[in-house]
Amino acid sequence: MRNTSINFKSQVTIKLADVKLQGALSRLQTRFVEGRSAVIGEIDDLPATRTAAAAIRDRVLNDLEHWLLQFEQQATARGAIVHWAETGEDVNRIVAEIAAQHGVKTAAKSKSMVSEECGLNDALELAGVKVMETDLGEYILQLAHEAPSHIVAPVVHKNKEEISDLFAEKHQLPRKTGIAELCREAREVLRPAFLNADMGISGGNFLVAETGSVLIVTNEGNGRLVTTLPRVHVAITGIEKVVPTLDDVTTLVRLLPRSATGQSITNYVSVLTGNKNTEDHDGPEHFHIILLDNGRSSLVGSEMQEMLRCIRCGACMNHCPVYQNIGGHAYGWVYPGPMGSILTPLLGGLEKSPDLPNASTLCGACAVVCPVKIPLPDLLRKLREKQMERGMKSRQETFMLKAWAWLALHPAIYALTTKIGVRFMSVLGGRDKLLHSLPGASGWTNGRDFPAPAGRTFRELYQQGKRK
Amino acid sequence: MNARDKILGRIRTAQARQTTGAHVETISSHLARHPRGPLPPSPDDLVACFRERAIKLSSDVLEAKDRMEVPALLARYLDESKLPMRGVCWPSLAELPWNAAGLEMQSRPATNQDMVGVTGAFCAIAETGTLMMLSGAETPATTSLLPETHVAVLDPCRIVATMEDAWDLMRKECKQPPRAVNFISGPSRTADIEQTVTLGAHGPYRVLLILAPF
Amino acid sequence: MRVGFFVTCLVDSMRPRIGFAAIKLLEAAGCEVVVPEQQTCCGQPGYNSGDRKSAEAMARKLIAEFEAFDYVVLPSGSCAGMIRVHYPDLFRDDPALLARFTALGQRTYELTDFLVNIAKLEKAPGNFKGTLTYHDSCSGLRELDVYKQPRALLAKMPDVTVHEMVESTTCCGFGGTFSVKYGELSTRMADNKCQHISATAANTIVGGDLGCLLNIEGRLRRNGDLSTRVLHVAEVLSGLDVEE
Repeated sequence: MRNTSINFKSQVTIKLADVKLQGALSRLQTRFVEGRSAVIGEIDDLPATRTAAAAIRDRVLNDLEHWLLQFEQQATARGAIVHWAETGEDVNRIVAEIAAQHGVKTAAKSKSMVSEECGLNDALELAGVKVMETDLGEYILQLAHEAPSHIVAPVVHKNKEEISDLFAEKHQLPRKTGIAELCREAREVLRPAFLNADMGISGGNFLVAETGSVLIVTNEGNGRLVTTLPRVHVAITGIEKVVPTLDDVTTLVRLLPRSATGQSITNYVSVLTGNKNTEDHDGPEHFHIILLDNGRSSLVGSEMQEMLRCIRCGACMNHCPVYQNIGGHAYGWVYPGPMGSILTPLLGGLEKSPDLPNASTLCGACAVVCPVKIPLPDLLRKLREKQMERGMKSRQETFMLKAWAWLALHPAIYALTTKIGVRFMSVLGGRDKLLHSLPGASGWTNGRDFPAPAGRTFRELYQQGKRK
Repeated sequence: MNARDKILGRIRTAQARQTTGAHVETISSHLARHPRGPLPPSPDDLVACFRERAIKLSSDVLEAKDRMEVPALLARYLDESKLPMRGVCWPSLAELPWNAAGLEMQSRPATNQDMVGVTGAFCAIAETGTLMMLSGAETPATTSLLPETHVAVLDPCRIVATMEDAWDLMRKECKQPPRAVNFISGPSRTADIEQTVTLGAHGPYRVLLILAPF
Repeated sequence: MRVGFFVTCLVDSMRPRIGFAAIKLLEAAGCEVVVPEQQTCCGQPGYNSGDRKSAEAMARKLIAEFEAFDYVVLPSGSCAGMIRVHYPDLFRDDPALLARFTALGQRTYELTDFLVNIAKLEKAPGNFKGTLTYHDSCSGLRELDVYKQPRALLAKMPDVTVHEMVESTTCCGFGGTFSVKYGELSTRMADNKCQHISATAANTIVGGDLGCLLNIEGRLRRNGDLSTRVLHVAEVLSGLDVEE
């Protein structure tokens, strides 16, 4: 997927004015925020469970090479073929080769954010493979030629009317208005895709090193269908998704659905080990697992390593007041919200995403809900430090920061400057005691007045012996 | 150098580790111990807890005196819901008195035309009202997936407290994990349209659990 | 108890009355309050913008001025959080400084937290009458666990009725330089906050951080609301909330 995060600021203007989007985003509060809140209490000791989950992720990240090798060894022993891909293009090439090798003409796909990173669908179409998205949200996006706006609920930005119109147009069937009817129509349109596909493509929520298994969590049943019916299954995921044991992955699965959608457990949790053998009735004859790097290895051992703990639950964006107001598309790439504001610059280049680390008040709501305790505000701040070090800040901002620091380190001049400044601004504020415009701070005064200062500084009053 | 070597090499350099025996030991010792994380307190009554959680996730739950009563219970359920009185089942359930109950039950894997699929389950998890299904020649995965109605016959003494307990049971009773372990927690569902939960997406529309002592 | 009072740059320039209100409360609780003369800024604006060097310099200046006190108290969750949570991070590679800053942080408190948990102020001297709603500033809440403390103090004022707003803990959109750099977004967040405030029908909005209060007041007034009062919790508790 193309990285357009450079357009963040102009996108914000558009999204804030998009009434339909604003209506759709208000649903985030009910379903995801209240949903999580309602079930997270089912976890007996949430702080201990989050600590354990973070430790599980760190155990692997601190020794990633060996855990990957363990996974590869176990998976291969059970008949899976493990591929390694440095970039998205490599993934696309590998999948196209697998398709060619097995005479694949059609593929049914369940949700994979990593495949979005790669732009897999377009590459496969070019290679002559017809790809059907089967996750309802992704299917809707495929029909509409749009990108996902949330990592768990990809069409959170659309309302029912838009989807009714879309189905009526693309399916050439009478327009349905009820949500249940729309779902039934999608089921019937997509069922043949499952039955006839030569290849199933999935992501992988976790890779279990103990058994060489791919674990996927789904609700719709499409994940099970695409990994059971077609004769070839390709699972694609990032190298950081390895988890040591079945018990470890269970701790993570205890947290993931509750954090993501407010479910105690997703309807289906599928743990897939190896290809179909003589003891099976169903399953793929050929099981390929592709491990993607795409910049993740550069985070290992760095001060940003904690970001690799991410289990893609989406809780951070659900609780982020910035995301709640602008939605996911403004972030310009696959991953939005707080985790996207960190991953996009790290994987795509900081120079391409100058706004993402800065478009946050560092309120910390994300860090409170992250199931694996990623210190998201700290990582955002570290990215800002990198921008400072690399001279990526505007000259104006750099000057203002240096000037303020200089003043603050020279108390006598600071006192004088502030005394003059507050008198001046107090006069400007007039009788209303409000400034309606502030040169250099139109970002504030375009939408707000600036309350005038009292006119004297505390320090000068205190020194004069005043008590109030 | 291929991609694999480059990726692993980068990671190795980043972590400035040496490939000595120490790390292999740490990994194998953790694998051998496979410790559990923090668990919820174990419910006093596993069956009651399972039933409550399964119903919460929109499964239907019936209780039979024993296995032989299952066909009659199912026949009444299908009749009341105006569903077809025929389906397919796993071989382990073929011997139950289906015909006597007025049901046409074939012992074979499900195809797209079958509307009712009857399975057993390896075990079940009380914490979330979840079935654990292991794929195999006698336990085809399609039977619980393709039909609109999935019926699972479950021995209550196979209900364990947590998924961790379920893994331990699998480790005890199976040489290795099967090709597919599927945890099923009710009918398929989606909330992609306006975040409104709708039951019956691509998988079954309804799940009936019949608790029947073996 | 000898308290070093850090007034914060915002209170110093914008609302001295908050500083005097805080001192009055600390003295009512029996503290000896000293206001070091050379204090300026805690360094948070630079720190959050990625300028660690400036923040380090300001931290060194601050510790020199405040280390000697039994406690350091601030009428701001974000500045207190800067000292307690982030100063140690600035010096994580220098064990000696890290120890000093950690110790300083442990003695540094947001005002209401100090009054309730350390000074154990029984009754606030103010006599505010009316309905108010409370905005929980992010740093105070999430870095310092400030939530119950202001409410506990307000609950003891007989003529005060607190109407909790929906989403009192959601960010108001200030975020320091964010309020100017991402002005549209910041304004929308402020507007959401203002709508939650007016839904309570309280006639006063109260909080513990002046940055948030200026942001909220700015949006209220631009929206045409000239009547809702915007006060710092110290002003309400101390009785220095009366307009002159």
